[in-house]
Amino acid sequence: MHSSSPFRRFFTGPAASPVGQFMQTFISRPEFGPFVLLILEIIVFTLRSGAFLSSTNISNLLAFTPELGMIALGMTMLMTSGEFDLSVGSVFGFAPVVMWTILNTGTASLEVGFFVAIAIAVVIGYVNGIFVTRLKIPSFLVTLGMLLVVRGTALYITDGFPQRTWSAEGSWIANLIVGEFTIGSIKIYASVIWFIAFVIVLAYMLTQTKFGNWILASGGNAQSAQARGVKVGRTKIILFIMTAVMSAFAGIVSSIRVSAANPNSGTGYELEVIAMVVIGGTALTGGRGTIIGTVLGVLILRFMRNGIVLIGVPGLAYNIFIGAIILGMMALHSWLERRHNAGV
Amino acid sequence: MNEELVRMEHISKFFGRVQALNDVTFTVRKNEIVGLLGDNGAGKSTLIKILSGALIADSGTIYMHGRPVSVRSTTDAIKLGIETIYQDSALVTQLSIARNLFLGREPTKGPRLLNRMDQQAMNEVAAGLLKKAGIQKDIPPTTPISSLSGGERQAVAIARAMHFDSELIILDEPTNNLGVEETQSVLRFVRNARDSGHSCIFIAHNIHHVFQVVDRIVVMRRGKKIADDIDPRQTTIEAVEQVIMGHLDSIPDAPPAQ
Repeated sequence: MHSSSPFRRFFTGPAASPVGQFMQTFISRPEFGPFVLLILEIIVFTLRSGAFLSSTNISNLLAFTPELGMIALGMTMLMTSGEFDLSVGSVFGFAPVVMWTILNTGTASLEVGFFVAIAIAVVIGYVNGIFVTRLKIPSFLVTLGMLLVVRGTALYITDGFPQRTWSAEGSWIANLIVGEFTIGSIKIYASVIWFIAFVIVLAYMLTQTKFGNWILASGGNAQSAQARGVKVGRTKIILFIMTAVMSAFAGIVSSIRVSAANPNSGTGYELEVIAMVVIGGTALTGGRGTIIGTVLGVLILRFMRNGIVLIGVPGLAYNIFIGAIILGMMALHSWLERRHNAGV
Repeated sequence: MNEELVRMEHISKFFGRVQALNDVTFTVRKNEIVGLLGDNGAGKSTLIKILSGALIADSGTIYMHGRPVSVRSTTDAIKLGIETIYQDSALVTQLSIARNLFLGREPTKGPRLLNRMDQQAMNEVAAGLLKKAGIQKDIPPTTPISSLSGGERQAVAIARAMHFDSELIILDEPTNNLGVEETQSVLRFVRNARDSGHSCIFIAHNIHHVFQVVDRIVVMRRGKKIADDIDPRQTTIEAVEQVIMGHLDSIPDAPPAQ
């Protein structure tokens, strides 16, 4: 178990010194690879471009990173249970459209719109979960279908046009989820605080709780888990709902920050988010997951997108780097896994 | 003689038009290891799957402690104290020994809302259990199952059955794919389980393994029970093989049943 490093240390035998022991534990963790990559990235970008660590750039990074990051956190939990969700990007685009349409048409207040959008996300996640667990259809197909339904609905109700969002000023709910403040010269949005809170709650949930053990077992060997009395279906449905709600929340945060609810926003996010999660060390096939790894994966890809533009690599070449990182990290994780299974 | 623990009475099961079980009555007493033998297709797996809830009989009744019970799912069986250990052990290989032992029944501590697993208690109990099950090596309970050998995995599965007060442990080919030494340790775990008050049903193709541990042998052939009371101490492997293959219908010169 990843959470049991003190005992793994014991298992791997005595190390030469307390420092050596610490290093051994640290290196054997699945988060080690992504951590080293992130540090390398920061060093290279800082050396090549003075702008990378400037307060303006950090503010920029901190504005957008939590939004994709929140989706990635939900996806980490879902993927640990052995499923994934391709509809997250469309929910990211759809939820703010619902919220702003409700406000703009004068149907109800922003607060009501917010809760309606979240409630719709709950329904979307629940339907995904029911199709996957009850009808036994692979999550790839179910969530691909849901992606099209949700994106299509967003386009249909808006006629393809972005929704006005400038009337959010002064709403308590808008302040609560994206209010901004400054620390020194760095501008920080409340979404960063939300992201950190989610990281703490989900890391606790995955490693310390009974529910977390059920998530890992559902992804590791669903049949045995079911035979032991683990409610595999219910566990997965809850995680589908959680992922959809976090995507909706992230979409709403984004729409308030950029003052636009575009029915097309979030297109392609599903694959970027899955890339972030697997780079961090969570298994696509389930049974193994790490929230800290996902945070590292999110930072690696966001810093990469930001940094290669700053150091003058053409932005269109971005995907080459992302693809190379995914392949490299997968090779590393598979090597560590084999080494681990061999009992080293 | 000990009192009866489980009695399966007049069990029949069809798969389409094929009759897999034909009016089988099968009992296990307390503190008894019963060896269930038969060639492929004799119906022993079907019988065991009905007892462990994986299949439902077309007719017949299951009694535990003399009371009729309904076993309609594996969860029902586990609740009744019937644990089944398959050759692949049905463990989650990514999880630690302790997390596997308590899977589905994890102890929690602190406020209920926080749902916090009591990992310290789990690890302590697991360490004690592994000793009780007969693992001699000092394996920390936080070791993932994937780094254990086949025999150790079976020991974990048996330890789990022992801890949760399973009165009946069904071992379906537990020694398949195991080395000589590992097989010996599994047989030792089975004896330990009986000595600590559990009953076992032992199914294996290898009659030699069965002869080493069981108190009584039941033979099935083509969906029927052929022999019920074979005492492995009073007969030979060859004679039992004759019964399994159908050359004989009972053990020659067998002394009257116990």
